[in-house]
Amino acid sequence: MRAEDERYFERLESQLDEAFDVAERAKERGGDPEPEVEIPVAKDMADRVENILGIDGVAERVRELEGEMSREEAALVLAEDFAEGEVGDYETKAGKVEGAVRTAVALLTEGVVAAPIEGIDKVEILTNDDGTEFVNVYYAGPIRSAGGTAQALSVLVADYTRALVGIEQYAARDEEVERYAEEIGLYDKETGLQYTPKDDETKFIAEHMPIMLDGEATGDEEVSGFRDLERVDTNGARGGMCLVLAEGIALKAPKIQRYTRNLEEIDWPWLQDLIDGNYGADDGDEDEADDAEEPADDGDAEDEPATDESGNSAGPPRVGESKKFLRDLIAGRPVFSHPCAEGGFRLRYGRARNHGFATAGVHPAAMHLVDDFLATGTQIKTERPGKAAGVVPVDSIEGPTVKLANGDVRRIDDPEEAKAIRNGVEKILDLGEYLVNYGEFVENNHPLAPASYAPEWWIQDLEAAGADVRALRDDPRIDLTDPDADRALEWAREYDAPLHPAYTYLWHDLSVEDFCTLAAAVADARLDDAGETLVLERTDAVREALETIVIEHRQREDRLEVDDWQPFARSVGCEIRRTSADGASERAADADSALEEPTVELERTWSEDDLSVRARTWGHEREGDNAIEAVNEVAPFRVRERAPTRIGNRMGRPEKSERRDLSPPVHTLFPIGEAGGPQRNVADAAKHAETMSDTPGVVELQIGRQRCENCGTETFENRCPDCNERTTPDYRCPDCDSRVDPDEAGRVECDRCEVEATCVEVREVDLNAEYRDALESVGERENAFEILKGVKGLTSTTKVPEPIEKGVLRAKHDVSTFKDGTVRYDMTDLPVTSVRASELDVDVGQLRALGYETDLRGDPLVHDDQLVELKVQDIVLSDGAAEHMLKTADFIDDLLESYYGLDPFYELEDRQDLVGELVFGMAPHTSAATVGRVIGFTSAAVGYAHPYFHAAKRRNCDGDEDCVMLLMDGLLNFSESFLPNQRGGKMDAPLVMSSRIDPSEIDDEAHNMDIVSRYPREFYEATVEQADPEEVDIRIGEDTLGTDGEYTGFEHTHDVTDIAMGPDLSAYKTLGSMMEKMDAQLELSRKLRSVDETDVAERVIEYHFLPDLIGNLRAFSRQETRCLDCGEKFRRMPLTGDCRECGGRVNLTVHQGSVNKYMQTAIQVADEYDCRDYTKQRLEVLERSLESIFENDKNKQSGIEDFM
Amino acid sequence: MPLEGAARIVSELTSRGYNAEREAVTRIASTEDPAATLERVLEALPDDALVVRSDHVDPALEDATEPASDGGRTAGQTGSAAEHAPVSTGGDSAPSPPNDGGFPVETKGVGEGRGNAGSDRSVDPLQRSIEIVGDMTGESTGTGEYGDFVSVFRDRLERLGSKLRGRVNHRPATAVQSMPGGSEAAMVGLVNDVRSTASGHWLIELEDATGTFPWLVMKDREYADLVDELLYDEVLAMEGTLADDSGIAFVDSMYFPDVPRTHEPSTADRHVQAALISDVHVGSQEFMGEAWNRFADWLHTPEAQHVEYLLIAGDMVEGVGVYPNQDEELDIVDIYEQYEAFNERLKRVPGDLEVVMIPGNHDAVRLAEPQPGFDEELREIMSAHDPRIVSNPSTVTLEGVSILMYHGVSLDEVIAELPEEKASYDEPHRAMYQLLKKRHVAPQFGGHTRLAPEEKDYLIMEEVPDIFHTGHVHKLGFGKYHDVLAINSGCWQAQTDFQRSVNIDPDAGYAPIVDLDTLDVTVQKFS
Repeated sequence: MRAEDERYFERLESQLDEAFDVAERAKERGGDPEPEVEIPVAKDMADRVENILGIDGVAERVRELEGEMSREEAALVLAEDFAEGEVGDYETKAGKVEGAVRTAVALLTEGVVAAPIEGIDKVEILTNDDGTEFVNVYYAGPIRSAGGTAQALSVLVADYTRALVGIEQYAARDEEVERYAEEIGLYDKETGLQYTPKDDETKFIAEHMPIMLDGEATGDEEVSGFRDLERVDTNGARGGMCLVLAEGIALKAPKIQRYTRNLEEIDWPWLQDLIDGNYGADDGDEDEADDAEEPADDGDAEDEPATDESGNSAGPPRVGESKKFLRDLIAGRPVFSHPCAEGGFRLRYGRARNHGFATAGVHPAAMHLVDDFLATGTQIKTERPGKAAGVVPVDSIEGPTVKLANGDVRRIDDPEEAKAIRNGVEKILDLGEYLVNYGEFVENNHPLAPASYAPEWWIQDLEAAGADVRALRDDPRIDLTDPDADRALEWAREYDAPLHPAYTYLWHDLSVEDFCTLAAAVADARLDDAGETLVLERTDAVREALETIVIEHRQREDRLEVDDWQPFARSVGCEIRRTSADGASERAADADSALEEPTVELERTWSEDDLSVRARTWGHEREGDNAIEAVNEVAPFRVRERAPTRIGNRMGRPEKSERRDLSPPVHTLFPIGEAGGPQRNVADAAKHAETMSDTPGVVELQIGRQRCENCGTETFENRCPDCNERTTPDYRCPDCDSRVDPDEAGRVECDRCEVEATCVEVREVDLNAEYRDALESVGERENAFEILKGVKGLTSTTKVPEPIEKGVLRAKHDVSTFKDGTVRYDMTDLPVTSVRASELDVDVGQLRALGYETDLRGDPLVHDDQLVELKVQDIVLSDGAAEHMLKTADFIDDLLESYYGLDPFYELEDRQDLVGELVFGMAPHTSAATVGRVIGFTSAAVGYAHPYFHAAKRRNCDGDEDCVMLLMDGLLNFSESFLPNQRGGKMDAPLVMSSRIDPSEIDDEAHNMDIVSRYPREFYEATVEQADPEEVDIRIGEDTLGTDGEYTGFEHTHDVTDIAMGPDLSAYKTLGSMMEKMDAQLELSRKLRSVDETDVAERVIEYHFLPDLIGNLRAFSRQETRCLDCGEKFRRMPLTGDCRECGGRVNLTVHQGSVNKYMQTAIQVADEYDCRDYTKQRLEVLERSLESIFENDKNKQSGIEDFM
Repeated sequence: MPLEGAARIVSELTSRGYNAEREAVTRIASTEDPAATLERVLEALPDDALVVRSDHVDPALEDATEPASDGGRTAGQTGSAAEHAPVSTGGDSAPSPPNDGGFPVETKGVGEGRGNAGSDRSVDPLQRSIEIVGDMTGESTGTGEYGDFVSVFRDRLERLGSKLRGRVNHRPATAVQSMPGGSEAAMVGLVNDVRSTASGHWLIELEDATGTFPWLVMKDREYADLVDELLYDEVLAMEGTLADDSGIAFVDSMYFPDVPRTHEPSTADRHVQAALISDVHVGSQEFMGEAWNRFADWLHTPEAQHVEYLLIAGDMVEGVGVYPNQDEELDIVDIYEQYEAFNERLKRVPGDLEVVMIPGNHDAVRLAEPQPGFDEELREIMSAHDPRIVSNPSTVTLEGVSILMYHGVSLDEVIAELPEEKASYDEPHRAMYQLLKKRHVAPQFGGHTRLAPEEKDYLIMEEVPDIFHTGHVHKLGFGKYHDVLAINSGCWQAQTDFQRSVNIDPDAGYAPIVDLDTLDVTVQKFS
């Protein structure tokens, strides 16, 4: 690590320590569940693993092993330690296995996700039919977040530990084997598996499994056969088990095998058979299976070269269409381009500084022109290379080209211009370029797709042709990315380099036939404006040709006008013949009128017969549909394919930047039962009385009992109301009522009755008194806030309530709490590796104060617009997040002063003061927070941060979102005691924090991001060959791991003016109803040349309206009913008609209105967009079904004509 | 050879200046002596005709010496796959027509009515009788309100309960609730819930119009096995003893509405037969047109002369949008064209058959049961032979023999919920026995079967039918339950990709023929 990186981390950590000290002092004074901060700091992965598991000594051992072996091997060594009792304090064999398995999963998931604690319920020892013991591992749903490899390895570790502690293997009974097979099928049907083993495969695994895989039911569906087995507790599908068996063992068999081979104690010889697929019923079958496979393989082998040949020899290199991304199209989320469609986004390679890690660069002008449906951070589902990507604005690529109502065809490179002309756009002929970085192809293991011809490639072509590019670059009169036409022609002539991309049109979209027509029209054209403008006669064929090749021009009633026409004219093989004053031409001499007439003429140098067969038949889909070869035969220079790859995509999720509120929002985690009404209003609850004789505000609640060791007082508060000593949970046995103390492992079991003791009791609480006391203690009046909302009940194990005081202050500062006591703000994740002070709304002094000394080039940092490389834990907040953090800071200061009696910590005046403050970043499904530092703000509704920061939280940037919390809020207000005790309750809670990011311990997806400033010419050439991305040498993050440079040197190929360009919010969020969104979506589909609007309408109907209609209709005719008064649900309408519980009114849960809400719209859309008869008829049939169900045949609603 | 024949006929016709309908050609080709038939057809052809249609061929065929020999070749009696009950092979019980010379009795009414074809149904039409009960087409009064649902279930309890109330000394749930421990009690109600207890006993919650009461079936009691058969919302009576602290009763006996053992089916007064089919699925790529044509042709033969009724229990066509991406597997994508094609197929059967049809889940009517018969537009399309189109379910009484026609969607659920030995796809009639026992075609609410609430429960078997006819599961099976003949007809659709994937092998191309005078079944195979 470089010294400056060390300084950076030390600085973060000292800031963290400072906050910690304050928080610790506060915690000692206040009435929180624990007298200390509950989020332990983990400096590295070993720390996190130990903290998440809560097993002492693991971290130390992990660190010892880390340098010596892989993590997988370390997990196995740790298993030995557990077996021998060197790590962990377990007496039972089951405990040892459990410890080892959890540790293995924690280690393999880098101690970030909740799988080790939530995904493994318990390990128990059961008895085989022959009387020997075996190990049973109980998996739960959250094991999913561990991923296949860790799941599979957990089984191996369990088996290994089992062997070491001397337990026998599991011998599955026949019915258990069958049960596994049925259950996997059921789970796949209900929830879906990435990989579903066939029944034979499942049975084979189940028969050979040395330990039993078990778990709790995760769904409602039950198996129909093999029910009520003695050793299987449930008849439901055990989700955790299914995942481990299918996506773990079955899918990752080769990986496990690597480790079993080296272990003497255990032997999984059956893995080889599993990998080879030899699990037929008997040997005879196996042979047959082999025989059957071979011919099939041959068949494949024959097919492939055949397609390759037809793909390579006969036409230009093209990627295949993939329609997958169009699946499940939703109303209101538009398609931007159909697969590989002309007019769609053109693939350009490069990484902008706010780019990489599952993002796609789109020109901000295009974002505006697609009616603002795209904004920074909007997720798109894309054709390739991945499945989805987050959209980032990049203005150093080409913008879209549109045809205006006045007939002008213009490329729009300025977002402001896009907004100005937007209403006059008749057709979007081309969406412009679409930036994808090389690393994206590596990550998705996608063959490179042919690159657009862009200036960065052309320059290297020029250099290879012998030009002195350095000199050209240094010449201030020359713009290498956007040269004038003369210069471009000069280069093309002078060097044998292809024509500059700025003048290379999309010839490959034009058919040879149309190309000939166009060439003829150019030869017949005249010149205007002293030769500046080429004027063609307007015919439909010529107009369409110009639109197809996307050349800027003007369309007038009788003519088409092209400026900067020389490269264009030469590309179609027209020579310019000068007939000017130098008198070289006979014609000039002949005519007197020559003085007024244009002095330049065009001459077509070729005829159709001159074209070779190859040029005439060159094409991708059809022979002769691509004119590029023809251009190359008639033009005096080489012309490359401008945009051979188009990428289809559609909108996925909108971007997000919102405060996280529970619904309804919660200010305090204090239970008030039903007394607060549906609003859960604490003030109402304080006045609530069931009957006239009850005391207002006294409510029966389930709450945790605490006991003061000092004076014996029983209370639910964490400090004794009598002597102010800390209290402890008071566990009693539910049977004998004797007091039980928790054992070492935290279990509370009554020795005598062998049942679990509990501290939860139902008691009467005087909410009025509690509420008034709280107001008084923080010195607030009721009018300090609008409403204070509590919760109906507590869901945690011990049901410890939060002090109401915190809620009062939260309500006062208009923030609300999440289930764990913290205040959160959600943002879509986006990456950024370099920033400018100017775009972050900070000044350069602030950056310098945070330790930024030089800009990207190493020059001293003095100007606001200098680019600096972002430090790895620095983050940019959205405007909304900044505002919310300010409110939270005010709340924290108030809390420190009035509740804890300390000095305020933040004292922020405005948001500039937030710069430099620490926050937690925290992603769903994980249990570790990552410390981040605020360095600035953006108007985009996203959270920009270093890709490694996102990867440390286990997120990528394809539309994922997660939250930030203010550091001191997490330290003061988070408590594990608030977390729900149900499955998954510990997910999304900061059980541990990482204070510094180690690049080797993050999600390795981020390592595939390229970090160079230029892709080599060989790369572009390799794309044309559609080479494997691994064959090209471009530096990616992985290459710097473990070196001094691992935190730095994230270079980019494309700059952007501002990381927040284009609309701040997607139209999806600003439009109102679903209908408005859908209208806008269909309207846009008409405007885009790359979109087939009928297909969009079909899909909206097929994937949104019809499933909704059919689903609701089905639901209607088999619906549950619910009591309007008490909420009780009934599977079927009670025969009494009224609620059996409370006698209240019962009503349907699915009504006519919810069934047919889309019916008329769907019919209208089908009609207007000319959908297939098949679709229309499906709607007709449905409409009649609805009528038949909801209309009385005897009393039909009659139209007005019946009365006429 | 038939192809060759057809080609030859076409070229012969064209050489004489005629065009021809494909069906007409097939019809001619399928005769014993096509050349002679062709001559006769051409002789009889009206002067202005340019196209030879099948209705030109039919009269000519009537003159032929031997009609449709095809039927003889392919149609044969097969024993059914099912174990069951009396199946007679046609020859045993059916008085064979005088057929030695192969000359049918002289036909009458040549040219009168459409397609009056080969076989002779000389019986006086007045001897025929058809009555329909329970057709709710045009009677759907439900508007999907909560109250409609409540009425349906109350009606069910009322009407099926009346079959049980005489058998036990029943009390309302609220009365049972207040009886002292140890009392004997009985109750009639809908099954509201079935749960197994921790100790393996069964707790069955019965519900009547006053409330619910839990009944405990001990696992070692004889009735425990019956618990497997229970479906939600069927009507039951239970008798037993209240527990000491009451609140629950131990079941001593359990009663189903059931078909009385004394049930004696009615029969027709003369020898007359009905063909019971279903699941034609015209429009599907898997529709077996050839098999259907053989069936239709066979109906013209003397062998089939006593078949005077044709009952079709739903799924005339494959439909549209029944499952995702169905259009890719459709031969005819347009729903109206599907019905038109079905009508063409229907035209092939003899015109003097009485046809009764109910819709199924592939048809273009609402899916929720009861399903009203087709609407006017579709009725106009399916006009061949003026079929009677009634709702699903409906009871049709043919010359005194009542036949409950129900498409059979609930069979899927019965088969899924009940143990394999009691109901399976291989023996669909055994699943039908369960429905007969419950006296309801689709008891369970909230699961697979959909319910449209009407003012009364049309799905009840108020009267015991003589024959219970269903389809839907594409398996052939029949047998007798308490002397009620249960028939699940096969289908006319070959195995689909979906069926292949779940290993269902349909019984396609069979027509069960029932003797209405004896209720014996013969199965004719056409595939």
